[in-house]
Amino acid sequence: MKNKRILALCLIVTFLFTLVGCGKADKTDAGTAAKDSVVIAMDAESEPAAGFDPIMGWAAGEHTHDPLIQSTLLITKDDITIGYDLAKEYTISPDGLTWTFKIRSDVKFTDGVPLTAKDVAFTYNNAMKQATETDLSMLKSVEAIDDTTAVFHFNTPYSAFAYTAAVVGIVPEHAYHAATYGKNPIGSGRYILKQWDKGQQVILEANPNYYGEKPKMKKVSIVFMSEDASYAAAQGGQVDVAYTAPSYTVNPIKGYNILAFNTEDIRGLNLPAVPAGNKTPAKRNGETYPAGNNVTSHLAIRQAIACAIDREAIVKNVLNGYGSVAYSDSVNEPWENEAMKVAYDPAKAKTILEADGWRLNAEGIYEKQGLKAEFDLLYISSNSVRTGIAMAVKEMLKPVGIKVNPMGSSWDQIATLCYATPHVFGAGSHSPTGVRSHYYTGKNYASYSNPTVDTYIDEALAATSVEASYPLWKKAQWDGAAGVTPQADSPWVWLVEIKHIYFVRENLNVIDKKIHPHGYGWTIVNNVHQWSWK
Amino acid sequence: MDVGPYSGILKYIGKSIIKIISLLIAVSILSFILVSVSPVDPVRAFIGEVGMANMSAENLAKLEAYFGVNTPPIERYWNWFTDFIQGDMGTSLLYRQPVTSVIHVKFMNSMVLMTTAWIFSGFLGFIFGIVAGLYRDRWIDKVIKGYSLLIASMPTFWLALVLVMIFSVWLQLLPIGLSVPIGVNAAEVSILDSIKHLILPALTLSVIGIANITLHTREKMIDIMGEDYILFAKARGKSRISIIRNHALRNIMLPAITLQFASISEIFGGSVLVEQVFSYPGLGKAAVSAGLGGDAPLLLGIAVISAALVFGGNLIANLLYGIIDPRIRRGSAYE
Repeated sequence: MKNKRILALCLIVTFLFTLVGCGKADKTDAGTAAKDSVVIAMDAESEPAAGFDPIMGWAAGEHTHDPLIQSTLLITKDDITIGYDLAKEYTISPDGLTWTFKIRSDVKFTDGVPLTAKDVAFTYNNAMKQATETDLSMLKSVEAIDDTTAVFHFNTPYSAFAYTAAVVGIVPEHAYHAATYGKNPIGSGRYILKQWDKGQQVILEANPNYYGEKPKMKKVSIVFMSEDASYAAAQGGQVDVAYTAPSYTVNPIKGYNILAFNTEDIRGLNLPAVPAGNKTPAKRNGETYPAGNNVTSHLAIRQAIACAIDREAIVKNVLNGYGSVAYSDSVNEPWENEAMKVAYDPAKAKTILEADGWRLNAEGIYEKQGLKAEFDLLYISSNSVRTGIAMAVKEMLKPVGIKVNPMGSSWDQIATLCYATPHVFGAGSHSPTGVRSHYYTGKNYASYSNPTVDTYIDEALAATSVEASYPLWKKAQWDGAAGVTPQADSPWVWLVEIKHIYFVRENLNVIDKKIHPHGYGWTIVNNVHQWSWK
Repeated sequence: MDVGPYSGILKYIGKSIIKIISLLIAVSILSFILVSVSPVDPVRAFIGEVGMANMSAENLAKLEAYFGVNTPPIERYWNWFTDFIQGDMGTSLLYRQPVTSVIHVKFMNSMVLMTTAWIFSGFLGFIFGIVAGLYRDRWIDKVIKGYSLLIASMPTFWLALVLVMIFSVWLQLLPIGLSVPIGVNAAEVSILDSIKHLILPALTLSVIGIANITLHTREKMIDIMGEDYILFAKARGKSRISIIRNHALRNIMLPAITLQFASISEIFGGSVLVEQVFSYPGLGKAAVSAGLGGDAPLLLGIAVISAALVFGGNLIANLLYGIIDPRIRRGSAYE
């Protein structure tokens, strides 16, 4: 009697489990059945909280990318030079304060209304008013002269604006409502936002009336997931492309290749170039932070560090090979200066220090007039790669008599400390303004100041074409006599470029030659319209 | 005022309303203080390390004004509070939408998940507890007890990951996460799809909740089974079923209900972790991003809503006491 009941209970449990089992997941979920659709897992941070509204910062920020749904005036090409999208040409006035864009007349929004210069002016004039990641403070106003001419008035010359114009998507004046546009964007880009399940996924469909190259991928689904979930989704065969990190590549997934993309995701150290006791320029609210470091303010120390670090070893050991050596904040970009390169040479590091009067003490650390060659090195402790880099730097500088004390912290703490203490910084962007942010007086984390460098940066921004600005950006780094190279002032020591890695289905042909900016995100789909299934 | 036997309850409800209002004010003040003293700088979190270096001072100042960095905290709180009592929960800084509409979407997702988990864990926990208590020290008791202890000591997110590995990766029976099928237009999503996506997260949440209720119900069941009146009933030759129905059920219901309603807060907490693992778009995930992104209006909104939810749960538990056990209704338990 009792046993029968127990038996019955067991049967019920088995039955329930079978029921669950019957709800077999439909494999077509993954979108692999159709040959012109693709499913991509992106990190959860990539979902634009404020929606797909360029006025509210869509596609902007430190991970700039093509807005896909909207068209832009210009584009960044694969090699990060400037190309044309809506604009047919643009001219910059000699004083750099007026830009005139001539735009195409054959572009229509997906609701059938033609895109005109009025929409361009509307977009920029509105975006200027918003507090977003799109920095338009150099702009005064934009006016539409006629349907195909937009004139931009600037507060200050800013040739790097071309890179901003490659990111800000143009919205339709007649169909823009701030409250709803982010959810239901109307644009003229390659794709149409078909559906947005907030916090989960976005479904894009090819725009049938697109004026440019017709998308081969008709449907692009993007799911937002954590790193673990993205890996599991690829293991479960539910996505075609899944972002991942080096640690996951140890266990490959059957049916998937691991693709690594070149990036502008650079790590380097800021070496405060002034002695301790200084202060950063006051912010608007009067706040300042302590700046300067007694050890790194010695030029010899900064130059020695630059040649004492074995960058290849960091790539191999810390990045598992998913990276490359970096000598500047703009690896392979048109404004990178070859002179930034430095050979790994620990012996030279010692020579430099000894020539400057540093002598090894009993502990094997260099000393000069009672000052030990010893400093703290900040890193974001939640980030395994940066932790690894900090430890590697410590180990590599020990043999050349420089003592480094790695100090893990949070970015919020570090942001106030890093003016006085070197930090394992992340850098790199699709714009030459990176050079300005690292080396311009009053702007940089190294408290570095050199009037010659400042002059070149000012001239580069005042250039009357983007192309003319490249040589000036290069000169800002090294003009043959002065600059920020490891042999010269060396206020930053750049270490490695970190590849962005993805699990990609074996039979998917991913085209992505464009250098990715700092951070994972939408860059992976910049060329999704050219992808195809084998 | 005397309205018969229910005057106690009415008074109790009245008192509770005053309590919840003061509680909500306290919660909002506390959350606000936490956001204000948190080391997270919303502007820094918003634009990131590289963005911070590249941004002009003008744009930075604009963003600081937007996030209210330079407005005194008391003034910010007062602005929020005066709007709130007029029914306006403000605009989320990150989502750039009214807080109410952000919470509405997330809340609906979370509610489905939490309610399912809550009902399952309560129901199964109760049954398991009774069975274990009834067959004390037999093998079935040992199995249930062992299972409960094992589950109780398991971290929620770990269990979630294990379930994903088993059901989504190896067996490929259930979706990996999200609440909707990947790449399927909303119009083609069936109710079955939604259920499929709910199974794993709800299972994780309920499995965790079961242990607590099982173990407590089991203890109470054992206590009751040792009472003289049970022995007397057994002596009269009553069957196990009728003993449970007539003598044990009401007595074990009270602690079970308390636990069940008190567990709302636990399920709510658990849902934060479960939503992260399953990429499930609920309130928990929104709370995390609001906290890390310094989105004070959204965080305050979520804090107030969840406090009200937990308080409501406890209130219902207290009211149910009176309905189940008339002694409490008549007595002074509500005073």
